[in-house]
Amino acid sequence: MPKRSILHMFDPMPNNSPFDINMALDTGFEVLMPYHNVKLESIHGLTQDVIFSRSPSGIKRTGIFIGGRDIGLAMDMINTAKQAMVPPFEVSVLADPSGAFTTAAALVACVEKELKEKHNKNIADCTALVFGGTGPVGIATGVIASLAGAKTALVDHMSIDTANDAAKEYNRRCEATLSGEKAGTDEEKIALIADADIIFCTAKAGIQVLSTEVLSQAKQLLVAGDVNAVPPSGIAGIGANDNGIVLDTPLSATGIGALAVGNIKYQLQHKLLELALESKKPVYLDFRDAFSTAQTLV
Amino acid sequence: MEKPYILHLLTTAKNLSPFDVNMAMDAGWVSAVPYTNVEPSEVRDLVQDVIFSRSPKGLKRTGIFIGGRDTKQALDMLKTAKNSMVPPMFEVSVFADPSGAFTTAAGMVAAVEKQLDDSFSAVLEGKNVLVLGGTGPVGQITAVLAAQAGAHVKIIGRQLDKAQRIADLCNNEFGDGKISISAGVDSDKADYIKTTDVVFSTGAAGIELLSAELVATASQLKVVADVNAVPPAGIAGLDAFDSGKPLANSTSGAVGVGALAIGNIKYQAQSRLLKKILESDEALYLHFEHAFEVAREFIKSSK
Repeated sequence: MPKRSILHMFDPMPNNSPFDINMALDTGFEVLMPYHNVKLESIHGLTQDVIFSRSPSGIKRTGIFIGGRDIGLAMDMINTAKQAMVPPFEVSVLADPSGAFTTAAALVACVEKELKEKHNKNIADCTALVFGGTGPVGIATGVIASLAGAKTALVDHMSIDTANDAAKEYNRRCEATLSGEKAGTDEEKIALIADADIIFCTAKAGIQVLSTEVLSQAKQLLVAGDVNAVPPSGIAGIGANDNGIVLDTPLSATGIGALAVGNIKYQLQHKLLELALESKKPVYLDFRDAFSTAQTLV
Repeated sequence: MEKPYILHLLTTAKNLSPFDVNMAMDAGWVSAVPYTNVEPSEVRDLVQDVIFSRSPKGLKRTGIFIGGRDTKQALDMLKTAKNSMVPPMFEVSVFADPSGAFTTAAGMVAAVEKQLDDSFSAVLEGKNVLVLGGTGPVGQITAVLAAQAGAHVKIIGRQLDKAQRIADLCNNEFGDGKISISAGVDSDKADYIKTTDVVFSTGAAGIELLSAELVATASQLKVVADVNAVPPAGIAGLDAFDSGKPLANSTSGAVGVGALAIGNIKYQAQSRLLKKILESDEALYLHFEHAFEVAREFIKSSK
């Protein structure tokens, strides 16, 4: 009897995300094993229990998924898991906390494509803002955009300190060049968006961050992308299904909605899980791999 | 490859009930995934993670089960879940059955309805009903279902103020203000029993709530039912296997329904609802009223 495929899902939160469960089962993993409240200190032991309990042929049908809400912790966990491997006792590890890596990778890849095709511009020559920039998806989006060369700021709606702390931490972790900004009121938002070429909106679902009036002041805006699928959308004028809709801004910027991004995110997470399931050699996948794979999907 | 059937089981308790897991697997769900210690405030995010991670076609093969122990909390979570859907594309069925209370109560009331009809050609409407030990989840829902069927229902507890609080909760929250269950205290039950037609016993296991002496004084008693499967029975003279057997000591020809007879209907009701959410093309939101419908259907079909 062929060994069944097993995905061990390590999660620092009290529960795994149903999103990751659905995706993993849809990719074809036969057995999912959730582990809750997992601490970083436990990763080494858990990983070695995974690798030493199956023969090398069984190990190929075994993977580790790292979830949670904290992308820094997820990066520490994937590094610890990697160090715990003892080749040839080694399995693939995929980290995607809160779907943040795949969502962010899909968002930036969609926006990058739109920039090139509609506006003939490279992301490396752009200034980008990430609203809702201090949550998991926002930070991952900022890091990917920054590493792609855009001059990127994480925007928090409450506190400049939160924004600066996040920027500093992830500059150190990922060698990015992020800055922090605060914009809570419409005046602050208008001042901030005046010289942005790209706006990413990764704020909480169901909250409109940029109104039509605010958006109309975005003099340089070329592309805006929103990951909020629950009405109202985060950016006025961008519906969830829109993919390249023309917005009412001075340069007729174009917008990409949550389901257009979600479609790529979905394919991307599927693809990464498939890599973890089918790869002959163990792979370690984080947001960098997520972005390079997303670029091939758009 | 066809997408697998995935049921996400949410509970506010430390663990799922293995009862629900077995039932779900037997109803045809391929994966039953546990989410434990869930806070009601987390339901929205969990639900949206469920609906945004599969295609609309896959979502037809996806469901959510809400367990836990508290009736009102489970119904609130069901409401939150419904409000978190993004129809028509992103929506899945949800079925709440905290502690199995919805399906147990449904099984019990449906069984009593059948005995009333079989032995007395009578219906619940207009009957005087006592729910003994009625402040727990099964008692609450039993009272609501009987009241919705038109009976005059009294919830009996050891403390009157608690029984009254529960009766108010049942009337306002579960009955939408359309029913009026009253409350009584256990020490007064000798009085109430004289004019009672139906007794539901839903107290803790192993405690006798209705003695042989009180049964003998119940001059218009028709049907008694007990969910307690651990001896001694909640109602003196009733055996867990009884299903329409004349009750010992009854002077009015009352018949009894025991815990295992009720359990069988409960099992059928839960199984049918788990299959319903698996098979349905549209999203369903199921609670005790739907459990009662399928319990009645089962009884009709097994006649």
